[in-house]
Amino acid sequence: MYRYVIKRLLFLIPTIFGVAFIIFLVMNITPGDPARALLGLSAPQADVDALNHELGYDLPFMQKYFNYLKNMIIHQDFGKSYYTKQSVFDEVWPRYIVTIKLALVGVLLSSLIGIPPGIYTAVKQYSLWDTIPSVIAFFIAAIPAFVFGLLMLFIFSLKLNWLPSFGATTIYHFIMPTLTIAIPPAAQVMRFTKSSMLEAIRQDYVRTARAKGASERTVIWKHALLNALLPVITQVGLSLGVLICGAVVAEKMFSIPGIGSLIVDRILFKDEPIILAGTILISICFTIVMLVVDMTYAFIDPRIRAKYTTGGKE
Amino acid sequence: MKRLLITLMVLLVALTACTAFAANEEKLLVLRTERSVPSLDWEQTTNTSNMKVWHQIFEGLYGMDEANNGYYNELAKEVKISEDQLTYTVTLIDGVTFQNGDPMKASDVVFSYNRARKNSRFNYLTSMIEDVKAADDKTVVFTLNKPYSPIAHTFFCVKIASEREVTEQGDRYGTIPHKAGTGAYYVTEFDVATGMKMDAYEGYWRGAPNIKKIQYVVIDDLSAAVIAFKNNELGYFEDIPLSEWDFIVESSGTNNALIKGNNILFMGINYLSPTNNNVLGNAKVREAMFYAINKNDINIAVSNGKGVEATQYMPSDIVATSPVSGFKTYGYNVERSKELLKEAGYPDGVDVGTILTYGATSGSKAIMAQVLQANLAEAGITAQVSVMEAAVVTPRLYAQDYDVCVFSDYGNYDFNNIRQQVHSESTGMYVVRYKDDSSPFNWQRIEELVDAGVNTADTAKRLEHYTELWGIVMDSATMLPCLHEPVGVAWAQALDVGKPVPTYYKVRTFKWK
Repeated sequence: MYRYVIKRLLFLIPTIFGVAFIIFLVMNITPGDPARALLGLSAPQADVDALNHELGYDLPFMQKYFNYLKNMIIHQDFGKSYYTKQSVFDEVWPRYIVTIKLALVGVLLSSLIGIPPGIYTAVKQYSLWDTIPSVIAFFIAAIPAFVFGLLMLFIFSLKLNWLPSFGATTIYHFIMPTLTIAIPPAAQVMRFTKSSMLEAIRQDYVRTARAKGASERTVIWKHALLNALLPVITQVGLSLGVLICGAVVAEKMFSIPGIGSLIVDRILFKDEPIILAGTILISICFTIVMLVVDMTYAFIDPRIRAKYTTGGKE
Repeated sequence: MKRLLITLMVLLVALTACTAFAANEEKLLVLRTERSVPSLDWEQTTNTSNMKVWHQIFEGLYGMDEANNGYYNELAKEVKISEDQLTYTVTLIDGVTFQNGDPMKASDVVFSYNRARKNSRFNYLTSMIEDVKAADDKTVVFTLNKPYSPIAHTFFCVKIASEREVTEQGDRYGTIPHKAGTGAYYVTEFDVATGMKMDAYEGYWRGAPNIKKIQYVVIDDLSAAVIAFKNNELGYFEDIPLSEWDFIVESSGTNNALIKGNNILFMGINYLSPTNNNVLGNAKVREAMFYAINKNDINIAVSNGKGVEATQYMPSDIVATSPVSGFKTYGYNVERSKELLKEAGYPDGVDVGTILTYGATSGSKAIMAQVLQANLAEAGITAQVSVMEAAVVTPRLYAQDYDVCVFSDYGNYDFNNIRQQVHSESTGMYVVRYKDDSSPFNWQRIEELVDAGVNTADTAKRLEHYTELWGIVMDSATMLPCLHEPVGVAWAQALDVGKPVPTYYKVRTFKWK
């Protein structure tokens, strides 16, 4: 198991190199440059060239790439933002933490909202208890997150005056943004849980458990649910990754200083150091989330655990 | 008994006054900034949204009062111009101190201008300055390399910072709070992502401001800003979208104003466009297009009828040298338009290609493009509409890769700004290329007039030059000013903002009621 975890963690290194390479490449082939973005369209080309040189933007592509990796690995230096001249790490890290908090709470909420009705609708298939929640989930899954955000702003900020409409200073500031990002994936989690449960309920081992006289509760919770959870966990893990990147909607709407909105804002200025550091941190997080998902499989499913402990030998 | 009553009353009044004072002390005025402020060094961007914030912290030799005809002396007590208009001797006002307590000296002004001159962002403001020297503690001498009458804009834009504070903070200057300005507020907390908090500078040379604490919060989404204002989370809200105006009026009562802005929406025509056998090279077709435009329709569609139809390059009530008459204005006249088309050889109408613009598809430029399309169709002129990202469209406009376009120009406080649109040496906003081998226009005269306007400080002479210049531009039927979009401003019930202005408001002039 440890060997597997270490192997997966080592996989982070080529991931970082690859992400950095792709971002460098994309930034290099897209038109525009940071100096032009900073100085404006009317600035003389000589001034633009001088500033690009000062920023190190005019270096050859590969030289820029290797310099960046060298500084990051040897000096743990992500450079300085072209736009603010502040240390990239000092800018990115606090916003990264905000987004991680937002995404984690969002995933927790979406699981809490989505999994129980998913189980219930599977157990009560073809009844009204299945039809109504399924139709509601269908509609919710089709509505974009920003519509929920606006609705909540309208109701809880504007009409009821209960919650602040922007910022990220108190726990109250996070209520609407987390719900905004949690509800659409909750509907997906519910539909996923339902289909997974339906598949599990029809398996032979469930029929055997029933034949052996196990109570319905034991059959559902112990035999069906544990098996049905594996694909749901994958879905939840993936949605965490998606939320880290996709929280930008809530970040923009509620003026939350997160990593997504930072990257989007800085793309306008071709603020390469910020975009690179932000994307690398997101990819690291995504890789770790996927590792945790895999480890959770082992925790839930003894067959997978046995594979890890025997090194995959039967 | 009487004495006791009086004593009680006095105590009551004192207590009320103290409470009111304490309340004012604690009250926080929250304002929105639509873009994060990258630095506390004013030199780091020229973005208007950021400049509004810096205007609370820093001051220039000149100030800007859009409610009362533009520039006024701020840190400059007196400005003397030499006969050859190459030397400006500026005497500084007395009693000004930086927020760190240091008195402002001429050396600080020299230091600030020399910093700005090294910053390529400000070349357009400082390239005419040959030298800046301190004659004594209170006098600064500017030597120019050529006469430059629009220097007032430079005196307004370049802000004065404390040499000691900037030098002491070194590389960290701009990234951490400082007390380097002479303005009424200094920053106590700063975060690029979320905004900043400011305290009143009690030693401010005009007297301590009434509002003691302010906070700028970054809210880039307009809908979110509207809700925040309605939810009483914002105390002052400017640049309000007109689509939300009625909603804002409902919640702010009488505390709102629609002010004529100095931003103008233009229609531009590329007379060099090869579309339809260079149909736009035909002066009569261009004139027909101008006469077909109903600016009232544009006003209604773009600004709910609350804008002001434009005929000038910039409003003369803000810019003294802006011509008010003596040029063609092309009033709406469909019949005249059809006649001109017939004379041009297109009695059955003509296709002029695409009306290109940028920004949001629901934005004012896109809406105006659709109105233009409908107006032109009435006269028998057909055109497509294309709306794309600014980053894609603006280079195309400057490269004359379009047929008809909608663009805007704003932030102009001196008529010399027209240079960017009509002079061949302009690197930006040269949307209509007047100077060309096949140009039918007297571009040499246009450029002469731009230079002549710069070379004299005499307002009457400048007005004369600019009237002739604007007359040539309007005769060319290539650039039609259509609408001054109004700027919506609203403020909290507890706040008194005096006479609202469209751009450079000063919180120091605000008061709690």
